[in-house]
Amino acid sequence: MSRVSGHAGSGKAAFLAGSKVGRDSLLEIRSPESARPVPPRAPETPEVVQAFISRHRSFFILLVVLIAQVILLSVQITRDRNMPLAKRWAVATMVPFGRSLRGLADLSGGTWEALRNLTQAEEQNRQLGARLAADEARIRDLSEDAAENRRLRSLLDFKTHLSYATVAAEVIGSSPGEGSNTVLIDKGADAGLNVDLGVVTPDGVAGKVIAVYPHSAQVLLITDPAAGAGGIVERSRAQGVLKGTGRGRCQLDYVMNEDAVSVGDVVLTSGLDRIFPKGMPLGKVVKTGSGNIYKDIEVTPSVELDRLEEVLVLVSKPAALQEAKSR
Amino acid sequence: MPASSERPINVYRVHPLTLWITAFLALVLQTFLPVVLPPARLIDLPLLVVIYFSVMRRSKTFGTLLGAVLGLAEDALSHGFLGIFGIAKALVGYFGAWASVQFDLEQFLGRLGLTAALVFFHSLALTGLRHVLLASPPPFQPLDLASLVLLNCALALVLFQILDRFRRPA
Repeated sequence: MSRVSGHAGSGKAAFLAGSKVGRDSLLEIRSPESARPVPPRAPETPEVVQAFISRHRSFFILLVVLIAQVILLSVQITRDRNMPLAKRWAVATMVPFGRSLRGLADLSGGTWEALRNLTQAEEQNRQLGARLAADEARIRDLSEDAAENRRLRSLLDFKTHLSYATVAAEVIGSSPGEGSNTVLIDKGADAGLNVDLGVVTPDGVAGKVIAVYPHSAQVLLITDPAAGAGGIVERSRAQGVLKGTGRGRCQLDYVMNEDAVSVGDVVLTSGLDRIFPKGMPLGKVVKTGSGNIYKDIEVTPSVELDRLEEVLVLVSKPAALQEAKSR
Repeated sequence: MPASSERPINVYRVHPLTLWITAFLALVLQTFLPVVLPPARLIDLPLLVVIYFSVMRRSKTFGTLLGAVLGLAEDALSHGFLGIFGIAKALVGYFGAWASVQFDLEQFLGRLGLTAALVFFHSLALTGLRHVLLASPPPFQPLDLASLVLLNCALALVLFQILDRFRRPA
């Protein structure tokens, strides 16, 4: 590192690389351009002036620069022209760089904008996701309501066509144990329900009431082994007794081997059990085979018993049926 | 802080290319930065370049000439007369170099103080010149002046640190 120094006492400049000199020397010599040997003092006046100028060269340079610019200014002011050529050159030199800078700024601005948009999009996406989830839940609710509406409308239609007086009930619970095919409905003794009343849906027979409570009742589904209903094959009119197997299906017993029953045949209620009206769908034959005397017929219920929601309980029978029962 | 009687004065240099590229970049940024960043109109990058290099070189002649050249270039790019910035920056270059010999400016505070003083002096010089030379000079805004000094000092802190990486002992 170079150090500029000098001696105030001698009044001469010195440029001593690597040396440290005190404050006094700095008073005289403080900059590299003044740190050059000064010619020995001479008695002639021009030389004295020359030495003076040399010692204060930087100040005179400043003076010259300032005077030159003041002249420049006065020329411009008096002629009322502010050097259009110089300005044109300066601008022409700068403009390409300015354009590049602007392009760079636009690029970075665009990138920043894109990043900001990305952040906003992420936020919007989160909000829209939340709104979508809420809307989906609402749609599910509405769909549920619509489905329920359809089921109830169907039930109502069915009820009006039915010759029985019925009580509409909603399934509020299902059988707790495996193999136990019962459901709980929300109507009981207060709605006039009794045991052994048939429970149906627009699709067919569901089961019968086996226990009645003040505000609810238990329904034995036709798939339960303890359940039974009089059945008739729609196509061949072969009669039998439909019993549950306990495995979600039923079997039609007591149908003779010579009776014509095939897979796909519809089994209806025969009305002989005096619980269900005649002609209601019980199920469809899915398997058939010959036994010793009777056929082995497997029937799948026409009602989706595992999706049971609304049912009708047949509370009173038609007058003809009641008369026959009373006799 | 006045120089102590035994204080050595360090003189630094940079590659001429570094000097001119820095000066040119300062002019380009000074001209076009306010377009995209309006507050940048308060910044005077060429002035900071003049202050840094005149203090670094500790040469009054160099400071004067650099200030005059950059000032004239700034004048040429502005709508005013050629010479107003030239005179103000030539004076800043001269006094910056003078102060660099008089005071210890290797310290952070010394540099900051000198920069603030020179920015203030530059603004006063410009205002004075405009009042003398122009028929309708812009009004003097003390708040603008204070913001200008503060902003330029803040920028100088960063800029000088960057430029220090390019200097080497003479």
